Amino acid sequence: MVFFNLWSVVQWYLRPFIKWFLRKTTRLCELQRICYGDRVGAERTCNIEKSLMLSRTKDVKEVVSFLDSVVKERRFYASNFHEILVPSINIILRVKKINPKLHDAFVPSFRRSLQQIWSYRQLIDEIEDLRRTQFDSNNIEHEEKLLKLWDLLVPNNPLEARVTKEWQYIGFQGDDPKTDFRGMGLLGLENLLFFASEYPQVSSHVLSHSRHPKYGYTFAIVGINLTSMAYYLLKDGSAKTYMFNAKEYLPSINLFHKFYCYLFYEFDKLWIESKPENIMEFSVIFKKFENAIQTELADPASVFRINIEVDTI
Amino acid sequence: MGFLTILKKLRQKEKEMRILMLGLDNAGKTTILKRFNGEPIDTISPTLGFNIKTLEHRGYKLNIWDVGGQKSLRSYWKNYFESTDGVAWVVDSADARRLADCAKELHSLLREERLAGATLLVLANKSDLPGALTLQEIREALELDGIKTHHWRILRCSAVTGENLLEGMDWMLDDIASRIFTLD
Repeated sequence: MVFFNLWSVVQWYLRPFIKWFLRKTTRLCELQRICYGDRVGAERTCNIEKSLMLSRTKDVKEVVSFLDSVVKERRFYASNFHEILVPSINIILRVKKINPKLHDAFVPSFRRSLQQIWSYRQLIDEIEDLRRTQFDSNNIEHEEKLLKLWDLLVPNNPLEARVTKEWQYIGFQGDDPKTDFRGMGLLGLENLLFFASEYPQVSSHVLSHSRHPKYGYTFAIVGINLTSMAYYLLKDGSAKTYMFNAKEYLPSINLFHKFYCYLFYEFDKLWIESKPENIMEFSVIFKKFENAIQTELADPASVFRINIEVDTI
Repeated sequence: MGFLTILKKLRQKEKEMRILMLGLDNAGKTTILKRFNGEPIDTISPTLGFNIKTLEHRGYKLNIWDVGGQKSLRSYWKNYFESTDGVAWVVDSADARRLADCAKELHSLLREERLAGATLLVLANKSDLPGALTLQEIREALELDGIKTHHWRILRCSAVTGENLLEGMDWMLDDIASRIFTLD
């Protein structure tokens, strides 16, 4: 512990000298070195973020707090990017004495990283809102979503009543799912709904696994536990690897849902492979799964895709 | 420090207790456990399987097992009975609909041979919610006064406000301690 403290103090004092030295020898500022040297995606964007956060230049600090304030107002959307990012990037170019004509590759790469960094920050707030919204059975919208989940997962088989043991078929605990969302609130339901509507084949495949006579599990409850896992990975920054390596997409609620679907698909695979004795092994297997995912996310080069190979049963 | 004091200290160290938290799903077992352990309680999801927490309280080492309460998990509760010193039975005071179910599960638990002698603490959780049943109503519905096989006590509590959690746990520890650590 003492060693780490000492090291961070040394780093704090050494950093400017190292940066100055590299600036003189490479004639590039740190941001440029990152944009040119680091692989596009999580590696580059995370290093850009680190560099901006550690900066002691007043103008850079102001750009950072300006972008944070835009996120706070929930205005960091593609339609506003031009208006928000052009002045911010110009300030950085001026402060770092970068000639955009000479370094025409820098600006787009840097812009992309800024979009990723602050979209991620805004996403954390948006997800937090969804999670804090408790499922409310007096809210018609919430109720409609719940019923839609049933229709998507069990098509052509309408529920016999709103409160019924049939809910256990898709893995809720009792006869009314409303108390099952707990601390994950509406986020838990939205995640399940996205999985069922966007990946109908995969979700019905996973649901059929959950109905396995020997290795079955409660689909919806496992889903809510996975929402919790995805939420924590987002909050502690681990999910950056996933989000920043998603080529065509910026961090958004939909991308978060996709991350969740990936986790669900992978968990189901691990569960079936583990051939668990009974459902009480969930805690152990879930922990094992979490560790494996964390290890994967710790490598900035990891790319995540659902390998859809639905076996025929 | 004499030899006896050292011996005594060693014994003190071994003051370990095993506590089982049970009850129907959505009673608030995990929330109580987290609250007791000082962890945030607003991001909990339903327990599949179990959680274990080991914590120090008043010089005792408590191993608290929080096992999921969903119906399909209840048949596995018995796997956790061995050498249990105390059972914390958590009741959702606002769930009148399932109180009979709750009483049935509790009484089948008390018939378990391996739990004979274990201290029973009934926690009437969520007592701060509007529409929560009174302590008396729960006591009657659960037929607690008929229990002769176990030391028991019922307390109203709230995992959200923290009301009575410590009192309940302290009572259970004292009761267990008076039973198993009286040889000193």
